[in-house]
Amino acid sequence: MAQNEIAIDVNNITKSFKVFLDKGSQLKERLLFRKRSRYEERKVLRGISFQVKKGEAIGLIGHNGCGKSTTLKLLTKIMYPDTGTITMNGRVSSLIELGAGFHPDMSGRENIYTNASIFGLTKKEIDARLNDIVAFSELEEFIDNPVRTYSSGMYMRLAFSVAINVDADILLIDEILAVGDANFQAKCFNKLKEIKSHGTTIVIVSHSLGQIEQICDRSIWIHEGLIRAEGPPKEIDLEYLDFMGQKLQESTRKELEEKQQEEASEPAEEEEQEETPEEKKRWGSGAARIKKIRAYTSDGAEQRIFRTGESIRFKLDYTVKEKVPDAVFGIGIFNRDGVQCYGTNTRIDKLPEFSLEKSGTAEIFLEKADLLPGEYLLDFAIETGDGIPVDYYREAYKIEMISNIGDVGISRLEHKWNI
Amino acid sequence: MNTIKELYAYRQMIFSLVKKDLRGRYKGSVLGFLWTFINPLLQLVVYTVVFSYILKANIDRYYLYLFVALIPWIFFSSSITVGASSVVAQKDLIKKIYFPRMVIPISYVTSCFVNMLLCFIVIFAVIIVTGVGVNFAALLTLPIIMGVEYVMALGMALLTSAVTVYFRDLEHILGIVSMMWMYMTPIMYDKSIVPDDLLPAFNLNPMTHVIECYRTVLYNKAMPDLSTLLFAAGLGVALLIIGCLVFNKLQRHFAEEL
Repeated sequence: MAQNEIAIDVNNITKSFKVFLDKGSQLKERLLFRKRSRYEERKVLRGISFQVKKGEAIGLIGHNGCGKSTTLKLLTKIMYPDTGTITMNGRVSSLIELGAGFHPDMSGRENIYTNASIFGLTKKEIDARLNDIVAFSELEEFIDNPVRTYSSGMYMRLAFSVAINVDADILLIDEILAVGDANFQAKCFNKLKEIKSHGTTIVIVSHSLGQIEQICDRSIWIHEGLIRAEGPPKEIDLEYLDFMGQKLQESTRKELEEKQQEEASEPAEEEEQEETPEEKKRWGSGAARIKKIRAYTSDGAEQRIFRTGESIRFKLDYTVKEKVPDAVFGIGIFNRDGVQCYGTNTRIDKLPEFSLEKSGTAEIFLEKADLLPGEYLLDFAIETGDGIPVDYYREAYKIEMISNIGDVGISRLEHKWNI
Repeated sequence: MNTIKELYAYRQMIFSLVKKDLRGRYKGSVLGFLWTFINPLLQLVVYTVVFSYILKANIDRYYLYLFVALIPWIFFSSSITVGASSVVAQKDLIKKIYFPRMVIPISYVTSCFVNMLLCFIVIFAVIIVTGVGVNFAALLTLPIIMGVEYVMALGMALLTSAVTVYFRDLEHILGIVSMMWMYMTPIMYDKSIVPDDLLPAFNLNPMTHVIECYRTVLYNKAMPDLSTLLFAAGLGVALLIIGCLVFNKLQRHFAEEL
């Protein structure tokens, strides 16, 4: 590969952090307890190398703490690697911290200047971009009001507009496509695609595999400080999902075992413990309780991440204290903005009332979950026939939907074009 | 070399940080920007009362003698004391976004410098109102003297702001250091009364020369001594180089230490 075609060259970088057990940064402590300031060296990156061609978009994936965000920070030069080298060819802009240096008392316009200047733009360059920035943020009417009067959505829109209009050669992005409402997100997304088509190199860190699949040419999966796999996003993401699914199963099994042990040793206390942190999210007579919720894909793997259009099977384990003669099960699905996307119960669905007498498992099967990408919070409930809650459990479960189709909104509607 | 080029590219950031600092400094206070002038004026009153009436310094127009030295000193001392915590104060920015880190101390020192320039308006007002008058030829050297002091203050601010990140006590130590430094600089008294055995220490103090230059130009209405000015410039550049080297070495781990 010719040297001038490479935008980013990462060569065997390592990075470790010192985790101080008790750190003294005062003179007294440094002098008196010099030997005592023990620390543990935690290796976050253990030798990562990759190259990114000009105009290529790559996604870094991996679970929390695997080192992907650290890698991005090293790329931006916020931190420096312990060993190894990083070469970046071109102007770098990062969408890591949006709205850096915003001053609440200054107007939107003034903040555009401050914020853009932090990206290294000169006044002339900002002047040239000002109209684009304002237009993109859709804040024309408010641009001369102080930023403190903005809603958080407006604030983020302005911040994103500045960052994306920097015209960098290399764009580094960390989990920011969760900005604003769905419309604005779609707009950001299209802008990113446009930027990419102009030949900008893009590196994205995201938990949202759907976004990565839509934009990136290549996924790099970082696991415990090393590159575990890289290749086309569709393949790598599937591998990653499988891996995460297995891990989830393992951890839930462990949890279950622990719980069972706990239950065996002190059965009385356990219930109270459960009550306290969830008081506000959970109410009802308590005659029956939802014990555990699990979600499965069509092939039976326990999972919290699903593809739009896949089937999802929820299983609810419940325990019964007192008999509930006329029980109704319900489900509610909410997106991150708190909008209810769907809700139903066994009464609405005209199922016969049934009597809960002893612990068991209920099941709801969504044959085609057409929810669009994003996180969703689920409520589950047991009620009596006349609607009195027995156990209403708010935000009982969280799932994430992913997709590589770029449609927007809440849910996909079956459709066909005739042209 | 690269650093200078990069700093030049980020000049707009320095400019907006200075603007933000100047506008934000007295926000919410009743007198607002007037504090820029009130603060040094009140200090001037205190020192004049103490040294001119109580201790009887016996210097003609003591208030002016003191004023032309005090304002530059306040610039220098606030650059090192408050400048020391400037990097720590911007930790949110440093942890989350890349920019040449030197931008922060530079913009801080620059905003102190602008403050000093504003105070010079008051100095000139006093000079004119009291009929002391100015020597225009000598006045032309004033920007050079200010430049030399700026370089010194920047060197010190780079040094202290970088070290403070690793060693937070420095902020507090510097409060006392700057007080000692003030009394070890001929600001409230004349260098001629300094005992001979202390003179070498005074001569090594870069601020001694700067203050003397200011005083020659504004109080004595004469051309500053070229050798004094050159010596001060030499010390200033040396300080700046040391400051840059230390800052560059230490800034690599800012994000982790903050």
